Amino acid sequence: MPDARDASLVATLRPWWRLLDRRRGRLLAGAGLLLLTVAAGIGLLALSGWFITATALTGLALAAGLSSGLDVYVPGGGIRFFAVTRTVSRYVERLYNHDTVLRLLADLRGRLFAVMAGLDGHTLSRRRASDWLDRLTADIDTLDGLYLRLVAPAGVALLAILALSGLLALWLPRAGLVALALLLAAWLWLTVGQARRGMAASRGQVEALEALRGRLLEHLRGLAELEAYGSRAAHRERLDAIERRLQDDQWRLARIAALGSALAGLAVGATWLAVLVLAALAWQAGALSGPVMVLMPLAVMALNEALAALPMAFTRLGATRAAAERLNALEAARRPNVAAVSSAAGQAPPPGPLDVMLDAVDLHYPGALQPALSGLCFSLAAGRRLALCGASGAGKSSVAQLLTRQLAPSAGGISLGGMPLAAIDEAALRERVACLTQRVELFDDSLAANLRLGDPEADEARLWRVLAMVELAGWAGALPEGLETRVGEGGRRLSGGQARRVGLARLLLREPELVILDEPFAGLDAATAARLAIRLDEWLAGRSVVYLVHQLGEAVDPPGIDHRLTLRDGTLCTSDQDVSG
Amino acid sequence: MTAETDTAAPGPAARAWLARLAAGEHRHHRLALLAGGAVGVATLVQMALLAGLISALLVDERALGELAPWFAGLAATICLRALAQWGQEVAGQAASLGIRRRARAELLDHLERLGPVRLTRHHGAGLAQRLVDQVEALDGYFSRYLPQQALAVAVPLMILAVVAWLDWLAALFLLVSAPLIPLFMALVGMGAERLNREQFVAVARLAGHFIDRVRGITTLQLFGRTAQATREVEAVADDYRRRSMRTLRLAFLSSAVLEFFASVAIAVVAIYVGFALLGYIAYGPADELTLFTGLLVLLLAPEFFQPLRSLAQHYHDRAAALGAAAGLVALLREAPDEGRGAHPFSTAVTEAATNAEPARPVAPESLLELDNVTLCHVGRGRVLGPLELRLTRGETLVVTGPSGAGKSSLLQLMAGFLAPTEGQRRLAADARFAWLDQRPLIIQGSLADNLRLAAPQASDGQMREALSRAGLAALLDCLPEGLATSLGERGEGLSGGQVQRLALARVFLSPAPLVLLDEPTASLDAQTEARVIEALKQLAAEGRTLVIATHHPALLSLADRRLALEAAPVRESVDA
Repeated sequence: MPDARDASLVATLRPWWRLLDRRRGRLLAGAGLLLLTVAAGIGLLALSGWFITATALTGLALAAGLSSGLDVYVPGGGIRFFAVTRTVSRYVERLYNHDTVLRLLADLRGRLFAVMAGLDGHTLSRRRASDWLDRLTADIDTLDGLYLRLVAPAGVALLAILALSGLLALWLPRAGLVALALLLAAWLWLTVGQARRGMAASRGQVEALEALRGRLLEHLRGLAELEAYGSRAAHRERLDAIERRLQDDQWRLARIAALGSALAGLAVGATWLAVLVLAALAWQAGALSGPVMVLMPLAVMALNEALAALPMAFTRLGATRAAAERLNALEAARRPNVAAVSSAAGQAPPPGPLDVMLDAVDLHYPGALQPALSGLCFSLAAGRRLALCGASGAGKSSVAQLLTRQLAPSAGGISLGGMPLAAIDEAALRERVACLTQRVELFDDSLAANLRLGDPEADEARLWRVLAMVELAGWAGALPEGLETRVGEGGRRLSGGQARRVGLARLLLREPELVILDEPFAGLDAATAARLAIRLDEWLAGRSVVYLVHQLGEAVDPPGIDHRLTLRDGTLCTSDQDVSG
Repeated sequence: MTAETDTAAPGPAARAWLARLAAGEHRHHRLALLAGGAVGVATLVQMALLAGLISALLVDERALGELAPWFAGLAATICLRALAQWGQEVAGQAASLGIRRRARAELLDHLERLGPVRLTRHHGAGLAQRLVDQVEALDGYFSRYLPQQALAVAVPLMILAVVAWLDWLAALFLLVSAPLIPLFMALVGMGAERLNREQFVAVARLAGHFIDRVRGITTLQLFGRTAQATREVEAVADDYRRRSMRTLRLAFLSSAVLEFFASVAIAVVAIYVGFALLGYIAYGPADELTLFTGLLVLLLAPEFFQPLRSLAQHYHDRAAALGAAAGLVALLREAPDEGRGAHPFSTAVTEAATNAEPARPVAPESLLELDNVTLCHVGRGRVLGPLELRLTRGETLVVTGPSGAGKSSLLQLMAGFLAPTEGQRRLAADARFAWLDQRPLIIQGSLADNLRLAAPQASDGQMREALSRAGLAALLDCLPEGLATSLGERGEGLSGGQVQRLALARVFLSPAPLVLLDEPTASLDAQTEARVIEALKQLAAEGRTLVIATHHPALLSLADRRLALEAAPVRESVDA
């Protein structure tokens, strides 16, 4: 197999291994406990064999009338010691290593969240679907097995092989050498060999599972059309083909893993048999006592436990690799400008309302058939209000994402307050530009905590004030738990209109200089919207504003529009209209 | 892994379903059992040969050369044991693969029978996930746990019998722990099950928190709060660790007890045998012990416990399978609407749900007749009807009404996705239909693959024409790969309006005489809407029968006839 693939495997897992390595002390201690358990198991069986043989030989000698003595208390104590050690160390090892794995899980989640927080708007919106998130968490779970399923057992098995061979060599160097050669070869096969043999199939399995999920989703969501056009059976055939591919891979994996398990047993068996022959020869030559001759193969036999789990885990290394690859790809998709900005000495535009300039801006999503925005040019003077109209999909939200730097333009320039957007310091940008998104995202937390996202320092009086501005104070006051009421997952316990107003209230706690409002009155009845418009007008005074609206004049328009522009299929179609006067 | 799995204790229905699935693969299971039994026997023979060999060497002082057949025998049993071990794993996996394939087919058949309307009650991605991952979660139970369950009884019994024959006192030591074993297994089981349940809730909460924060990550970015949220994610995960360690401490104890017995049994047997061989024990069979019997008893002691330890290791497979089965059985228990399956349109539906020929229209020029139909939904009461409707060939019927008046339900009823609660639907023999969904299906594949869903035999020319009639000619022109352009997962790369028009192109391509359209111009801008309306006019001009559900005034101009539905009189919506 080409070396490039191995190098890429190492390179793929390296960042994750480095993350685990931060807890090196714990990892080593856990591996030490694993080793102790294996060693106690070996000691127990080997010493017991020695003891029985020694007592039998002594017994025979005594029966033959020879004077012969055997200290039974030291080996007896040793046997009890190994028995207790094995049990206790196994229990402690399991607890300790599970604790470690859970700590690693927390590290992994934290790291991944940080990575996702740096993703751009397009990548995020494509990946918001819950199935994608489920897969993501599954990938994290796969990676947390890197230590406990792969690295630790393989390392412990290797150490046990070295120690055991050394121990055998103390009595009989030849036996030690033979055991080392046989067991090392087996170890290599069970780890590297199994991983290589299973790599293609285990990666194929991950891909096939992914493809199956995708096709199934099509099948279930599109059942109406498939049934109408009579193409359900044809599509089902596509599904079946993927499942066959999946099961072919799984069958291959199962055979490879089973072969590995059988080989592990065979290798240990062959080794103890070889050691037995060598020890018997040595015994006949008088170089070894009988009990030690028995001890040696039994010690090897007990090694089975250390090797048994390796083939299964390593055959499926491809799945771990695929998980790491997906997460690496996510990391690579991080917004390039975030890193650049945070490292550069960030600047902030002069205080006061921000003017906005878009110059020949293009936006092309990777993989899209057509550009989302092309040749977009407009400017907005400080303190003025612009309404950007257009049907859904015309590109309004893309403009908002560009202005909040959640997307970077493919071409053209954007400036705020006379400064290139890309050069503005991240913290300053977040403080001075606020955006009410089309979909208000609330968190599974209390009402107060959701509002305080706008201003963590806000006291209760201020929270009540902004709630009053969006006409929710009465509703919130009537709730038995008031501001401490939990809003549920994604704000599900609130109605759509309430959630939007909470989103608006959250914004009102801030003091931004550019405000972007996507359909601020969507889901509100006309009377409420009209009253809200008056208060919003006051709050917006002295700030630059971009409204995103489907169409003006349909219901209550947002207050104080100075200019109006219409987007269609990513281009502006009317010239800048001054509607203020 | 999935958040929606049933967390309640799995019911007997889940067990029954698993048992039925297992029965379908009893041949592979028997093979796995046989192979597992062979592993046990080979182990026994191997240990006997080893003990015999050592005894012959040390006690009988035979020359090594004479013992060559013994070594050969040992080598042979080691090989046979490895072979049997391989056979057990492979047969178990073969059973599991067959079972998973059949379980998935059964579930998918059932979901197809439920039909597109009933499926909208479920989260599509969640369902797909369950059909893939929860079915995969059955693997360990069938491939490992189930064979091991029988072996964990048979193999220890076999070993116990041999030990008893060698030395009944030693067997007694093993037997003393034997009645305790079911107790400890139950403890392990209870521990595992409770652990599983509690962990499940905790994991779901942890995943829920993570997903909640990820869903809102755009907001966190906009408010500049991502660093704080990252710390919070770590803190919640760490809190979960502290809480679950409390449970784990107890849960691991039960398996530690099993380990303890395995270790202590070896120690006790070793010391008993040693002292007996020294002649310190004058009781019972002790003075008859030899190096051979003593060593064999010692070697068999760990093997007595090994199958139980394996079973304990696979116990979580059982818990996982029961959890998954409970969720899947709940899905299987959803009964399809009566009348579904007797689907006269689709040639694919050949299930023998009903063999009755669908009723034919009374009037010869009718394509479809609804005779006094009503439609009721459980929990929502009557949503439509009673309605009397006759669809004449070539006419365009526009169905209007406020949202919730049953426009979509009427279309679904016409399509046969829903069966009428009362009354009758009568169809002409050639009444195939084309369907435009509010959320059109885009399959992963090329543009052509997507179009051929409606007409598998369509030529490139026909597809181009259909695209151009749907207003997508400009798009097609700017694609270098033309019809072979691949559309990513879920139509990535197409805007909402383009997806709608692509579905419309399918309608043009389909030869079906009846065209059912649910809000065909939703999410289109005025210009595109006008183009689509023009195309629909052409469709009507071809002599096709159109039924359009809409609340867009522009579409009303197409109508030969209008049907205004009123909001149903009493409807108690039951909100969760």
